[in-house]
Amino acid sequence: MMRDTRRSRLILGALLTAALVLLTVDHRAGESSPLRPLRTAGAWLFGAAERFGGGLARPVTGFVQAVATAPQAQERIRQLKAENARLRAGLSATRLDEARSAELKRLLGLSGTGGFTVVPANVLARRGQPGFEDAVQIDVGTADGVRPDMTVLNGDGLIGRVVDASATTSTVMLLSDPAASAGARLEGGQEIGVVHGVGEQGRLIQFRLLDSAAQLVRGTRIVSFGSQNGRPYVPGVPIGVIEQVESTPGELTRIAYARPYADLTALDVVGVVVQGPKRDPRDALLPRKGGSW
Amino acid sequence: MVIAALFVLLALLVQVMVVNRLPLPAGGTPDLVLLAVVGAALVRGPTAGAVLGFCAGLLVDVVPPTAHLLGQYAFVFALVGYVAGRGAGGPVTTVVLCVLMAPLLAAGLAALMSDPRVTLSTLTEQVPVTVVYTLVVAPVVVWLATRGRPRQELLA
Repeated sequence: MMRDTRRSRLILGALLTAALVLLTVDHRAGESSPLRPLRTAGAWLFGAAERFGGGLARPVTGFVQAVATAPQAQERIRQLKAENARLRAGLSATRLDEARSAELKRLLGLSGTGGFTVVPANVLARRGQPGFEDAVQIDVGTADGVRPDMTVLNGDGLIGRVVDASATTSTVMLLSDPAASAGARLEGGQEIGVVHGVGEQGRLIQFRLLDSAAQLVRGTRIVSFGSQNGRPYVPGVPIGVIEQVESTPGELTRIAYARPYADLTALDVVGVVVQGPKRDPRDALLPRKGGSW
Repeated sequence: MVIAALFVLLALLVQVMVVNRLPLPAGGTPDLVLLAVVGAALVRGPTAGAVLGFCAGLLVDVVPPTAHLLGQYAFVFALVGYVAGRGAGGPVTTVVLCVLMAPLLAAGLAALMSDPRVTLSTLTEQVPVTVVYTLVVAPVVVWLATRGRPRQELLA
């Protein structure tokens, strides 16, 4: 054993006694302890050291804390993300509802002016093989009075026609479908022609004027001509504005390309005309020139 | 002796600034000062151990934040330093004995002073956690404290 001598035991005894004396004095004296200056000095000295060292120690403590709380933090991040997504979805839903309400208002305005009876519908899905097929599914069907070969429009103009109707949903072939053709009439006259889809994702439609001698200039507007009993197209629905005219000398018809009023690429609220107007509204539904309708 | 004192001081500062703030599981912290005293006493014998322990304990008593009576840890560490310097079996058993002894001594002393914080739950919940943490870090701290100073009895 190491130098466990009489001297070392004596020293230990003295130290322990000193400690006990300190303890007793501190305990008895309480607040007015004579050892208070010692504490104050210690607090001053080590307080300063701790303040200085705190800056060095904080990154360590922070790191360990970050590691220790990582699982909770992950959970918290997950919760916040979920909440964020929910709020964002709610926000966009509100925005969508607002846009829908505005579209519906305009649709009702159009059908009111035209004297159509319209069943409003939402576009559920869109099928598009660019250049081949352009159709959307809407959420009304035979239960709402929708039958095949009914005109579909929205607040801006003609969209297409119903090609197939089930009980609760219907398929609408858009104007931009290459297989779609609709009778059309130039504004302010009786010059008639046929509108064809050309694919192009609905940005342009082809207008074939039957009278090659008739005047056809850029900016002329076209409306639907109408079919017998208003099927598949009711008369007087705005279709679009002529954008470019092709010179086709020697042919029997003239070809022009028109920009549809209805944005066929972004459809939401549409209306199915379940009952056509008693009188052809002629040009009454065309938007004011140069301004939005 | 000076190096040992500096080491104890360093251990104390690390203890109050870093270790005591770490959010370790089960709410306990290792007692680095105790280990520094034990390590220093192991290579320097009972007299130096007792003196060093007394001084370290006194420092622990005055370094803020303190909420115990002055002299409590001076007593505990003086005794621990003496025991560690005297040795009890091998170094491992000595360290384990000291680590177990210190919190119990402190609790007993506080109980003598009718400290309301010393309850049965302190002894059954806090003390074991502290002991375990201290034993976990003991090899590192004791190795640091005894580095370059082989036990004198091994030389003898």
